[in-house]
Amino acid sequence: MEAQITTTATAPRFQEFWRVFRRNYMGLVGFIMLVVAIFVALFAPALSPYDPSSTLNVTTSDIYNPPSAAHWLGTDDAGQDVLTNFIFGARVSLTIGFFAAFISLVIGGVLGIIAGFYGGRTEELIMRFTDIMLVIPDLPLMMVVIALTKPSIFNIILVIGLLYWTTTARMVRSQTLAVKSRKFVLRARAIGSGKRHIIRRHILPLVLPILVVQAVLVVSSAVLAESTLSFLGLGDPTALSWGQMLNYAFGRGAMSTGAWWALVVPGFGIVWVVLGLTLLGQGLEQVLNPRLDTHHLMPGRPVVRNEANEDAEKPTGKSPLLEVRNLSIHYINEGSPPARAVENISFNLREGELIGLVGESGCGKTTLMLSLLRLLPSAGQIVNGRVIFNGRDLTALTEDELNSVRWSGISIVFQGAMNALNPVRTVGEQIAEAIIKHLPDFPRESLSARVVELLDLVGIAADHKDHFPHQYSGGMRQRAMIAMALACNPQVIIADEPTTALDVMIQAQILELLDKLRKKLGLAIVFVTHDLGVVAEMCDKVLVMYGGVTAEYADVDVIYNNPKHPYTQELLKAFPDLTKPKKKLSSIPGYPPRLDALPAGCRFAPRCPAAFNRCHTEQPSLHKLGDGHIASCHLVEASK
Amino acid sequence: MKRWRYLSGKISWALFTILFVIVLNFFLFRILPGDPARAGVRDPRLTRENIEAIRVRYGLDKPIINCFESLNPVKIGSCVVNPLDTQFFIYIGNLLQGDMMISFHTNRPVTEILSERLWNTVILIGAGQILAIIVGVLFGMFSAWKARTSLDYASLTISLVAWSIPTFWLGVILLFWGSNNGMPIAGMSTPGMSSYPLLTQWGDIARHMFLPTLTYTIVYMGEYMLIMRSSLLDVLSEDYILTAKAKGLSIFQILKDHAIKNAMLPLVTIIAINLGFTVGGVIQIETVFSWPGLGMTTVEALNRRDFPVLQGAFLLIAVAVILSNLLADLAYSYLDPRVKTE
Repeated sequence: MEAQITTTATAPRFQEFWRVFRRNYMGLVGFIMLVVAIFVALFAPALSPYDPSSTLNVTTSDIYNPPSAAHWLGTDDAGQDVLTNFIFGARVSLTIGFFAAFISLVIGGVLGIIAGFYGGRTEELIMRFTDIMLVIPDLPLMMVVIALTKPSIFNIILVIGLLYWTTTARMVRSQTLAVKSRKFVLRARAIGSGKRHIIRRHILPLVLPILVVQAVLVVSSAVLAESTLSFLGLGDPTALSWGQMLNYAFGRGAMSTGAWWALVVPGFGIVWVVLGLTLLGQGLEQVLNPRLDTHHLMPGRPVVRNEANEDAEKPTGKSPLLEVRNLSIHYINEGSPPARAVENISFNLREGELIGLVGESGCGKTTLMLSLLRLLPSAGQIVNGRVIFNGRDLTALTEDELNSVRWSGISIVFQGAMNALNPVRTVGEQIAEAIIKHLPDFPRESLSARVVELLDLVGIAADHKDHFPHQYSGGMRQRAMIAMALACNPQVIIADEPTTALDVMIQAQILELLDKLRKKLGLAIVFVTHDLGVVAEMCDKVLVMYGGVTAEYADVDVIYNNPKHPYTQELLKAFPDLTKPKKKLSSIPGYPPRLDALPAGCRFAPRCPAAFNRCHTEQPSLHKLGDGHIASCHLVEASK
Repeated sequence: MKRWRYLSGKISWALFTILFVIVLNFFLFRILPGDPARAGVRDPRLTRENIEAIRVRYGLDKPIINCFESLNPVKIGSCVVNPLDTQFFIYIGNLLQGDMMISFHTNRPVTEILSERLWNTVILIGAGQILAIIVGVLFGMFSAWKARTSLDYASLTISLVAWSIPTFWLGVILLFWGSNNGMPIAGMSTPGMSSYPLLTQWGDIARHMFLPTLTYTIVYMGEYMLIMRSSLLDVLSEDYILTAKAKGLSIFQILKDHAIKNAMLPLVTIIAINLGFTVGGVIQIETVFSWPGLGMTTVEALNRRDFPVLQGAFLLIAVAVILSNLLADLAYSYLDPRVKTE
């Protein structure tokens, strides 16, 4: 019964693995190279033109003959065919490599699992020993041991196997540690399964993938080690491995006779096998342990603007400080349709105004904020709309022009300020850096005073200026981030959930601080949050987002007293109202939609208590409900 | 305070490891087959008296350690001998005085031979290591910055190929090329150079160094490139890089002020750990180019079964690697503020 379950579970897993692996060129090339090498080794007698053991008819005139029709790769110091020896050499090199790797994997695997699983003294002892073995240089040690024993294939395999287990032991141990604390292992221990059973049934299957990658790398090290030992004259004189061929050629005059073939050919074999194994190992690693090779400095995708879609209506009266008009952002994934992360968002922001951007996590708030300064990850693309700041369209600027707007015009307070500050530079340096960049005329001698002033503004004492971020508490880091955002006197600050992950008291302090600064410095703030309480207290306007689109956009009073969109209504029900303490709080069942699987109609329809047929088929448009109040809901249209 | 505990922990661990290596080095040569004296002087004409004389000269007539007369074959001896009159403690005592016996082959003190050769190896490793780090780090930075473009894939491929080439073979190929192009093919200097002015002598050494250093650089730059690439990729996807970008810093400024130092920190440790493997590479390079350093000394001692020299060279190499690891730990604690101030 149990066996049946495992087979049905592993077959698709292997197919899945193969499907991904097939597209990993590095791994595939390595795999093919290895298969070729093994094939050559297995069918050596059939492939080689001569019999390697035969010395018949060899005369001195056969020594170091250049490549010819009879000897495609020439002859060696004993007058033998290099190609034949090369093909048979694959057998020796691969055999030693595989057997030595096997021994070292068994030792490393067993020690690693024991250390990781049993912990305590055992682990301490094993890992300390591993550390020592890791430091002792392996080649000199191997040389000493083989010099003191007899250089035979058996001894070489043994020595390599006994010395190359250290990295395996370390990796297996850390993997075992990770697996050990997983739920199903804890459960198995709780119901009293034996330790051996747990190791065999639960830990080994999850350690195995790492062991496979490790095996590939250890085989390549072993092949290299064998060839090195042989080259240094410590190989088995009766087994002609590639390293041994090189040893003979180098030691017996191939260099002075100019017999390059005797030197090049065996080395080519070693490089082939080692490179194949390395590529295979890298490929396997990438497949089993995928990591995105993207980073923040990759060039962004060009902004596309669909003019036909653009709202023809021009804003009336004085233009606002920041105007976001019909902004849409897609995430582009090769091979699948783009994820429509943000669609058709518009809002305005005037001097000194505070707009709240509300929605559950994953509804595109952060994407929207990053796109304002074009800081999207490389997969993100602005596919429509404009961001107009002080009359300039930020989506049309070059990267250099944008750099002058960033921070001096609009700055950002990132969420989770721990990683937003560079851990190896002092907080003061990081604040001063922004000033130096944007205010080049700022007198250097008063720079330090300015940093102290900024820190003082957010309530951080001057002596913390030269401290590193890890010496700050969470709340202090967030405040330092705000001080940094204020450094160049920006007109707009984007605060992206600046209070998440902080305790309630600190949250209140930070919010109070932002509100105070807004009044004092006349800042306009875009405040991203999922906390409606904060919005009620501070904001002038609210934009409620759901699944990347506008649900409702209005003044804060309207949102609270006359919400039109069912999502806003549900959000308000989930938020405690102090005037009605007896009212029951409710939460919205379900989750926001996944961006790669958006519903056909209204994005909120699957969770909406008021949804009807039309909601599931047709996306509602943005309906204007008088003075700056916008809601996207079919019900609104019906009631209009 | 915490920093002191960190440092003293590291230092005492290094001392313990050195002690382990000394003990290992002593017993390895006594457990594995072959009486050192007989293996060293394999001459059938030697009489029993001669061999005995050699055994006395090298102290091999004394018990190995209390309770053990010899370890191969195992012969239990008296436990009530003066420990200071056993081979093990005589060996330790001599080591403390810098005495590592006398070479079987040249009759010179091993310490003298090794200290002559040590500097030649240090020069070679120093030059090669610096070049490999510079080239590898630059390539790695470039590759990470241009991640997932064809330039990245090209330099990745070059690095993996360089990484897969056996050091000795690359040396042989370069030597073959060099010998056909008028490069010096062996040793550190041309014989008879000592009568020339100092500058000419140095130029001559530099010419001899070129190929060994080139071999070293090619072999190790691939590895540094791969490490730097992945380290920098990690750093460049950190939040603080996004902050720096939002601050309006140019790509050059971000790399210079926020990315490279952070990415280099793990490299410091890795370079030091690598020194252990580096020694293996140097042994091969010195053998191929007849560079008179520790590696060549080791291989020569091996071929002549000159065990005192082999034993001494192994100990010296191991201790050097342990000390450089210690140095890296200390450097790291100094460079990374997270360790320094905790």
